[in-house]
Amino acid sequence: MTPHPTVLILPVALPLFLGAFSLLFQSMAPDRRVALQRILAGLGLFANMAVAGFLLFWVLQRGPQAFQLGLWPAPFGITVYLDTLTALMLAMVGLLSLLIYPFALETIDPERARLGFFPMLLFLLMGANGAFITGDLFNLYVFYEVLLMASFVLLTLGGTPSQINGGIRYVVLNLMGSMMLLLGAGITYGTLGTLNMAHIAVRMAEAPYTVQAVIAGLLLVAFGAKAAAFPAFFWLPSSYHTPHPVVTALFSGVLTKVGVYSLFRVFPLFFPTLLATWQPLLLTVAGLTMVIGVLGAFAQPTIRRLLSFHIISQIGYMLMGLGVALSPSTYGVGFGLALAILFLIHNQLVKTALLLGGGAVELEMGTGKLSELGGLVHSRPLQATLFLVAAFALAGFPPTSGFIGKLGLLEVTFAAGQWPIAAVSVFVSLLTTMSMIRLWQSIFWGKPRLSPPPGVRAPGRALWTTTPSAILVALSLAIGVAAQPMLTLVQTAASQAIDRAGYVRTVNPELTEQDRSLPLGIQSQRSEKAGG
Amino acid sequence: MTALMLALLVGLLFACGTYLVLQRGQIKLVLGLGLFTHAINLALFGTGRLTRGAPPLVDGETVKAAGSAAALFARYADPLPQALILTAIVISFGMTAFIVMLIFRRDALTGSDLLPGELAAVVNTADPFAKFTLRMQLPEAADDYDLLQYELDEVYDYPEREVENARE
Repeated sequence: MTPHPTVLILPVALPLFLGAFSLLFQSMAPDRRVALQRILAGLGLFANMAVAGFLLFWVLQRGPQAFQLGLWPAPFGITVYLDTLTALMLAMVGLLSLLIYPFALETIDPERARLGFFPMLLFLLMGANGAFITGDLFNLYVFYEVLLMASFVLLTLGGTPSQINGGIRYVVLNLMGSMMLLLGAGITYGTLGTLNMAHIAVRMAEAPYTVQAVIAGLLLVAFGAKAAAFPAFFWLPSSYHTPHPVVTALFSGVLTKVGVYSLFRVFPLFFPTLLATWQPLLLTVAGLTMVIGVLGAFAQPTIRRLLSFHIISQIGYMLMGLGVALSPSTYGVGFGLALAILFLIHNQLVKTALLLGGGAVELEMGTGKLSELGGLVHSRPLQATLFLVAAFALAGFPPTSGFIGKLGLLEVTFAAGQWPIAAVSVFVSLLTTMSMIRLWQSIFWGKPRLSPPPGVRAPGRALWTTTPSAILVALSLAIGVAAQPMLTLVQTAASQAIDRAGYVRTVNPELTEQDRSLPLGIQSQRSEKAGG
Repeated sequence: MTALMLALLVGLLFACGTYLVLQRGQIKLVLGLGLFTHAINLALFGTGRLTRGAPPLVDGETVKAAGSAAALFARYADPLPQALILTAIVISFGMTAFIVMLIFRRDALTGSDLLPGELAAVVNTADPFAKFTLRMQLPEAADDYDLLQYELDEVYDYPEREVENARE
């Protein structure tokens, strides 16, 4: 069965329609409206997961797919592009949002639900999916803004003073990042005369170094700021601990990872030569991100602040993978990128599990302060075990996905001769282990110091809040134990992501030839400048 | 010449925006972000070639009459940057409205017409030479990120003293 390629826009269209539809019933009684919105959001998340799973299956069967919106041929219309990397990210984000849904159902307070928590969930999903699947640079900017707008609302929903404070920092710094992306897109159009990613890939190869460097620099700053890489990470630790815990868990799996995905998508496609020449820069940024993130985590007094610094630290590993993405290794070119993708997926699973576990503790005990918590292992043995496994997975201990990711990344960096960054990453792993053990000890070990405030814990809550982390931890263990299928999958994804000719061919086979015959190409612009 | 003027203007707007964003005070922040937006919109405007009196339409005859690509470029205006700018304006308008609302809400929470950013001048947790008594009042686990939270709590609890501090 071959479906019509229109299904490629379903990951965007489905959450958009359901989200907009669930906002329509403003005249209904609030509790009935919320009940309806819950059902619609649940439907939307399930349907989105189904679509994402189908797309992953499809792309593994048939290879990369592209669709031109409105059937305008490639450089003129907006292209939607799906390859294994895109499909993997769609599936991961779909899975995470589906898993946080029961947690949200159980713990979100009526006030936040009434203010539109569930529709915003769908809009966030739409923005993330759109940023994954688009094949147009300006369209990418627009989807980033959709994603950001939904995240602004989710972050400040509830309106406590600390949320508003964190929200202002988050909004302003992210807005600056988007502006850099917009400027990068503008300069791309001004110099290369196109915004279609496949077309940019064709023309960027012939562009002079200055043009490449300016655009690559702007995009690196923009996506780096979204991904919370050094030096533009300040928005993350100042805002992630403020919203409802379920929002933090979702953000950790979606927001920064969209930035990382964009780096993975754009750099091998547009700037394969810069990946080699800028390797020292990328690796320096990666190293500093790792070290500063993990050192920051040591100074943090609450669960979520500590974990948000670990988010930053882990982003460093993904950037390290990007730095050695195209370095030759024993497993062929692109193995570095494959491992970076594996690490990204591992991190999405584990980080969300940790933040869900920590969030459940925080909700139940009424505080996230490490100095006040303790001894929860007696009353919550399952939660404590899950948290411990996830913590060790984050640090990179053997039977988990973290071990596979870190071992592979180390191997590639050694093969590339970049031993300083390898040493830094090992050292940071050690610090991560120390920090995570300290965190686990302060929450779960010792004598119970604080009894849960009465009336907070409804019966049956533990099931709803623990099951998602259990599934995530199980997936992480599964990747760690049976690594080969996953490695094959990410290697396929990486080989498609670095295959520039394949990307262009899938989007529009005539693009390369057209460019030579077209009078409006960059060559004519250059000769015009030289003549004038 | 026109292109140079445009480039200088974009640079000037960026410089002013950066200066304003780095200032204390929320209104300056909003204005600075507004200047950034304008700078980027102008930069986008410059990405299409700057033509005067040329329509954004091309028909086959114009192409034939122009002969070369260079001559064709002078005969029509590129419509795409306009579309990009329009999108960017709409988005930045929404964002600015959201930030203004956030700031308004924060001011409402502090219950003071003083700008919260100006209150922050009084207490700086990172400054070892800040006034000792003020630093002593900070909660145990305070860090830079607690700064504004602290201000808000402080204003809630002792509005009069906060106003005095700000006057000093």
